[in-house]
Amino acid sequence: MAAATPASGLRTEPAPALARNAVSLEGLAIAFALGSGGHYRAVEQIDLSVADGEFVAIVGPTGCGKSTLLNAAAGLLKPAEGRVGIYGEPLSGLNRRAGYLFQQDALMPWKTALANVAVALEPQGVGAAEAQERARQWLGRVGLSAFAERYPHMLSGGQRKRVALAQMLIRNPEILLMDEPFGPLDAQTRQIMGNLLLDLWAADRKAVMFVTHDLEEAIALSDRVVVMSAGPAARIVGDYSVPLARPRDIADIRLDKVFHEIQREIWATLKVEVQKAYAQGEGRA
Amino acid sequence: MKRLNLLAWQIGVGLAFLAAWHVFSTVKFGGAKPPLDPFFFSTPLDVIARTWKSFASGEIWRHLWITLVETALAFGIGASTGVAFGFGFALRPKLAAIFDPYIKMANALPRVVLAPIFMLWFGLGIWSKVALGFTLVFFIVFFNVYQGVREVSPVVLANARMLGMNDRQLMRHVYWPAALTWMFSSLHTAVGFALVGAVVGEYLGASAGLGYKIHEAESVFDTTGVFSGMVILAAVVIIIDVAMTMVERRLLVWRPNHDSGAHQT
Repeated sequence: MAAATPASGLRTEPAPALARNAVSLEGLAIAFALGSGGHYRAVEQIDLSVADGEFVAIVGPTGCGKSTLLNAAAGLLKPAEGRVGIYGEPLSGLNRRAGYLFQQDALMPWKTALANVAVALEPQGVGAAEAQERARQWLGRVGLSAFAERYPHMLSGGQRKRVALAQMLIRNPEILLMDEPFGPLDAQTRQIMGNLLLDLWAADRKAVMFVTHDLEEAIALSDRVVVMSAGPAARIVGDYSVPLARPRDIADIRLDKVFHEIQREIWATLKVEVQKAYAQGEGRA
Repeated sequence: MKRLNLLAWQIGVGLAFLAAWHVFSTVKFGGAKPPLDPFFFSTPLDVIARTWKSFASGEIWRHLWITLVETALAFGIGASTGVAFGFGFALRPKLAAIFDPYIKMANALPRVVLAPIFMLWFGLGIWSKVALGFTLVFFIVFFNVYQGVREVSPVVLANARMLGMNDRQLMRHVYWPAALTWMFSSLHTAVGFALVGAVVGEYLGASAGLGYKIHEAESVFDTTGVFSGMVILAAVVIIIDVAMTMVERRLLVWRPNHDSGAHQT
């Protein structure tokens, strides 16, 4: 339970460039085997690092392989080329130091909200009574104290996301991977969830990789926005830092002048890719 | 209100059917015999009287008990082996691929043709009936569990793995509950088939049981006895089905559209 993050100075062996970063993707390429025997190259030549405590948003047109990057960082996908480093160590198997928030519903439908959150502690060997107690606290933190005994189908989409958020955070992972987590929610709920996420994150800034197709959401939440090109063989075509002060309210910050400047700047890059992706889609149809 | 209305209609249909049966099997409409010859069709009153008598005299209880024991054994053994094999094959795709043609073959076989061979192997007692019911129940449960385990949502599975669950924990928190749902959705059918196995087995050769009673009545052209046996069978099936539904409600509370407590907020 050593809370200290592996500081680069204390280590002798691993590559120093990797050590400072929570996640580093180097020369990454990911390909999928097609039914016809060929390969589809989703992303290639990806070099991306996320520093400890940094909130990085990844935007790009639909189908550009944003989620693929997350899955590689999570260890759910094996890269065809390149390597994935987690705190300086090459990743093999699943990434035990990361929590993952999925776009789709990923809660166990046969467990109540409370049981879904509590079960996340079982792999760490936490006893049932203590797990329940801590799960209750986490449900309180995401504003669902009154819904502990509900099953997922009795909750709204936003409430299910809150449970999933608590389920991910209760394990206290060092890295948070989020794949368009608020995508299926309506606009107001997205804002509420965004603020909730920022509040929880501010408590103990973890490294975050946040995938979204919504540029405004990306800027409002993150320290850095990475833009990916249209697929196939998508690459990183832009990397912008977001110098907005924290704490932020993601509804208010959209009215900020700086916000608009950043948005205009990134959109200039993103627009080209979105149009490319759109043209490809038309061509295919 | 609506529920009562529905119930009234349901009872009405039953009564209308019985009334029609009664009228056409007793009123002669000018002919020498009623349109439904009571020799072949009996009459509802006779059937009710016979059923009442067989319960009142107590002689039916022994037969009912034996049929229920056979049903319970066939169901219990069939369902548990079905679950075990469904699980095993779903988690070991190679094994499943090797056995696939044989399982399909065995399932395609009309199970009734196995009755004589079971009779040879297990004798005229209850075990030949249990074996027949087993072959019916096993495949239903097996296929359902097999399907259920293989179709566990990949997202739920990936999420559970990202939470750090090991194989044993995945089994307990993901695969097993998923399979259980499918097992329960096949349970109504499976219990029905267990009973079918028992009754058909008894019908083909036995010295006790409801199937035996029906066969006995049939062999002396006692249609009233046959119908009475059918009524008792139907009642048993309905009682078992209601019990099943209650168990299912209890165990599958988490499923959408399954209890009235569901509401969106």
